[in-house]
Amino acid sequence: MWLKNAMWNWRQKRRADAELDEEVRGYAEMLAEEKVKKGVERRQAQWEAKMELGGVEQVKEQTREARAGYFLETLWQDIRYGARMLRKNPGFTIVAVLTLALGIGANSAVFSAIDAVLLRPLPFPQSDQLMRLSQYNPKAQSANPFAAPVRLEDWNRMNSAFQAITGYYTEDDSETSGEIPEKITVAFVAPRFLQVWGVAPQIGRDFTPEEERFGGPAAVLISHRYWIRRFAENPDAVGQKVKIAGGSIPIIGVMPASFLFPARDADVWFPVPVGAPYTLGRDNTWYTVIGRLKPDVTLAEARANLATVQAQLGKQYPKPDADIAVRIEPLKNTIVGDVGRSFWLLFGAVSLLLLIACTNVAALLLARSSQRRHEISIRYALGGNRRRIFRQLLTETFLLALAGAILGLIIAGTASKIFEALAANLPRVGEIHIDTTIVMYTLGCSIVVTLLGGFLPALRATRQGISSSLAQTSGTQVSTQNRVQSLLVGVQVALAVTLLAGASLLIRSFEEIGRVSAGFEPTHVLTFHVSGSYGETANYKALTQRIDRTLDSLRALPGVSEAATSNTLPGVPAEYPIEVKILEGETDPNRKITADSRAVSPDYFATMQIPLLEGEACQERTSGKTETANPVDVMVNHSFASTYFGERTAIGHHLQEIATNPFFLHGEIRGVVADAREEGLNHTPEPTIYWCFSAPMPDPYYLVRTHGLPMSLAETVRKRLAQIEPGRAVFEISPLTAHIAESFSENRLRTILLGFFAATAIALACIGLYGTLSYAVTIRQREIGLRMALGALRGQIARQYLFSGLRICLIGCVAGLAFAMASSQLLAGMLYDVSPDDGLALSAVVVIMVAVAAFASLLPAIRASRVDPMKALRYE
Amino acid sequence: MTPSQTELLQGTLDMLILKSLALGEMHGLGISRRIEQVTRGTFQVKPGSLFPALHRMEEEGWLSSSWGESENNRRAKYYQLTKKGRRQLENETQRWGRISLAIERALET
Repeated sequence: MWLKNAMWNWRQKRRADAELDEEVRGYAEMLAEEKVKKGVERRQAQWEAKMELGGVEQVKEQTREARAGYFLETLWQDIRYGARMLRKNPGFTIVAVLTLALGIGANSAVFSAIDAVLLRPLPFPQSDQLMRLSQYNPKAQSANPFAAPVRLEDWNRMNSAFQAITGYYTEDDSETSGEIPEKITVAFVAPRFLQVWGVAPQIGRDFTPEEERFGGPAAVLISHRYWIRRFAENPDAVGQKVKIAGGSIPIIGVMPASFLFPARDADVWFPVPVGAPYTLGRDNTWYTVIGRLKPDVTLAEARANLATVQAQLGKQYPKPDADIAVRIEPLKNTIVGDVGRSFWLLFGAVSLLLLIACTNVAALLLARSSQRRHEISIRYALGGNRRRIFRQLLTETFLLALAGAILGLIIAGTASKIFEALAANLPRVGEIHIDTTIVMYTLGCSIVVTLLGGFLPALRATRQGISSSLAQTSGTQVSTQNRVQSLLVGVQVALAVTLLAGASLLIRSFEEIGRVSAGFEPTHVLTFHVSGSYGETANYKALTQRIDRTLDSLRALPGVSEAATSNTLPGVPAEYPIEVKILEGETDPNRKITADSRAVSPDYFATMQIPLLEGEACQERTSGKTETANPVDVMVNHSFASTYFGERTAIGHHLQEIATNPFFLHGEIRGVVADAREEGLNHTPEPTIYWCFSAPMPDPYYLVRTHGLPMSLAETVRKRLAQIEPGRAVFEISPLTAHIAESFSENRLRTILLGFFAATAIALACIGLYGTLSYAVTIRQREIGLRMALGALRGQIARQYLFSGLRICLIGCVAGLAFAMASSQLLAGMLYDVSPDDGLALSAVVVIMVAVAAFASLLPAIRASRVDPMKALRYE
Repeated sequence: MTPSQTELLQGTLDMLILKSLALGEMHGLGISRRIEQVTRGTFQVKPGSLFPALHRMEEEGWLSSSWGESENNRRAKYYQLTKKGRRQLENETQRWGRISLAIERALET
């Protein structure tokens, strides 16, 4: 019914309007005639009738409002009218739309990242059921969160909380089908792997139970990426073979492209057979364990259940299971980590930015609404009521916001590329993209903008009544409007200063990190891996010989001065805390001696240029972990020596690792080296133990000190290694400095982005300041002219406007700094060696803000001083 | 503009219009005069409320309209009750009876 009437009204609009007009006018005339009959003079009667009617147009408008479809019909009118007004003022429109596009775009971009990384579930069915399980020793510090295959099977069999538990372990290997060995990443997986993830192969099939048992047929699944790279998406790949780990293994299926786990870059999944001899030891820990909870089982229940299971295992196998506890965390938390804080910080920043953009648009609209006073008066006179005009003005703002939102979406669309460029190792960064959620969010933003930015100006613009408005001439009144505008600009400055303060603290902290002395020399070092497989650890002697041979030939290359191996990269955050005991001369048996443990080849110190302080350089005496009977040569850093030995010398003492597995390390301290920031440039050095053996693992990091640019040697190194190790792939060749830079990528991301947002905020605040002052100069031209005519000097006038701009700026600065101080807690933990009230950073903020504000105020001030008194007074 | 000319209760104006038209078709001014007459001047319906109400009620299907000649030979729009409008009037009258009775009782006690 409503719809039918609305349609009818729409189509019959013209006729209906004519009829309405006739009806209302007829009413007035009849009223007049009635009065004439009563004896009133005709003209007087007509006038009285009109007064009683209260305006033909008003009555018509009120009647139209009562009709169905009125809202839609007038909305369409408003939109067309608004669009026309915006087209007529291209300068205003462009500035407002760009401002909003920046504000909304930045906001949507950061929100898209938050949505993808933090809010959206992992890309697996019922992914909230996925848990990461790890084992740990509650009594000793242990960095090893991995589980032994037999224990994984026990957990899986004995628990009642999980549908299934599986595990994986990745290793880089070389695939030797082609002419040159290709590096591929192999994920060794426990049984039930695909069942836990809930993902089926895109083509082919899952592993059969036979393939997961020892002695059964071998089989691999390959990744979508590898399928494209090697087989060009040919479905015939299933059934072909890959040559890895000395065997030729048939491919049984291809995983879908969306399957990016466990490791993002796994090429091949290979089942580790249950019952294989190397999986039997309860100390062979290597699996990262993933479990899928049964529906309706809570995390707390699962934790309790696994604790019971492990307690049973502890009784059954007191050594080592009695010392082991199980930790369970939702998988998403372990993947996302603490990147959330950075994102929420950035989100806060872009929200401030959006607020500034809104304020800016509000100030622009206010300035414009006084220009439009005349137009609005006419609309009142033509029967428009306040609600209608108010809505029309809001519609206009909404059009601006919508245009801004559309442009903003384009900005947000490139966000994932920006994030990837700035921090490629951000978790889930590949999942950031624009979807309906983001579009809806952006639309929501534009509505918020309309209300925040448009409400006040529309309210003020429509406050005038019909009586007062037409009587006024335009543009001579300096009302409170200007005060409100100044307030808005002050708010913008304050918000911009808040952002700038945060950004400058982060930048200062970044600088500080760059300025610290690392304790080692990170430049001119080339790093890479040479593929190796864990099979080689069966013969440590051969493995060590192989790696030493490689190191020797690297050293012999021209342009190379030193070469070493290490299980970690210096300056890249990675800690392996262990607990040790000092075998002789320990007075306090309860003293806990913890240290960061690193395995390096003897040349490591020379290569990294870490100076020897005491004793002698270590030698490779044993072949690593297997021959625990012989002590390993050990170097400790200065803080270890001074913390645990004090004034005594550390040299000659024996250390033994306190560990749950029988492969504990023990060794004799040969020398003390200077402290180096091994755990990251922003970490003060911790007590560190270096165990000297060159083969801590089959594919350690190789560190090569070069005379020239490290990367210029990449080809030489590759060629040489192809000669001496033809079956091995050389990969991840990059300078050490690149690794260190990458380890700061989250830090860098938030610093760069916050800096960018702050710069935008300042620019917007300046546009606001400039706009407000220019507007004030324009409408006060007559006053200025008059003052000049009365003898005011041009300099005085200019100074007055400059100072009024600076006053707004300074008040804004004070408010902004106070706000920044109040919210500095947000930055805690993100700052290195810079306190949140760092004088240098904060005074830089004020200097920048004042300088920019002075510049923005200068132009209007000069313009004011150039006002020609004669012209200004003749104006109007 | 006397104080007795208070705001009409929501729906009351509709009822008064329906009641006025129950006797026969009428144009806008006629309706307004009739209401004034029957309420003895308590309610003076201004065109700003009368026309929106008439147009709304026509859309509801309670009234129909046609153009005719007025007493002074001028074209005027005449409104008449439809069947639906008559039913609406009965409902409204009953409802109003109930309400006024209830309020009267409430005020007596």
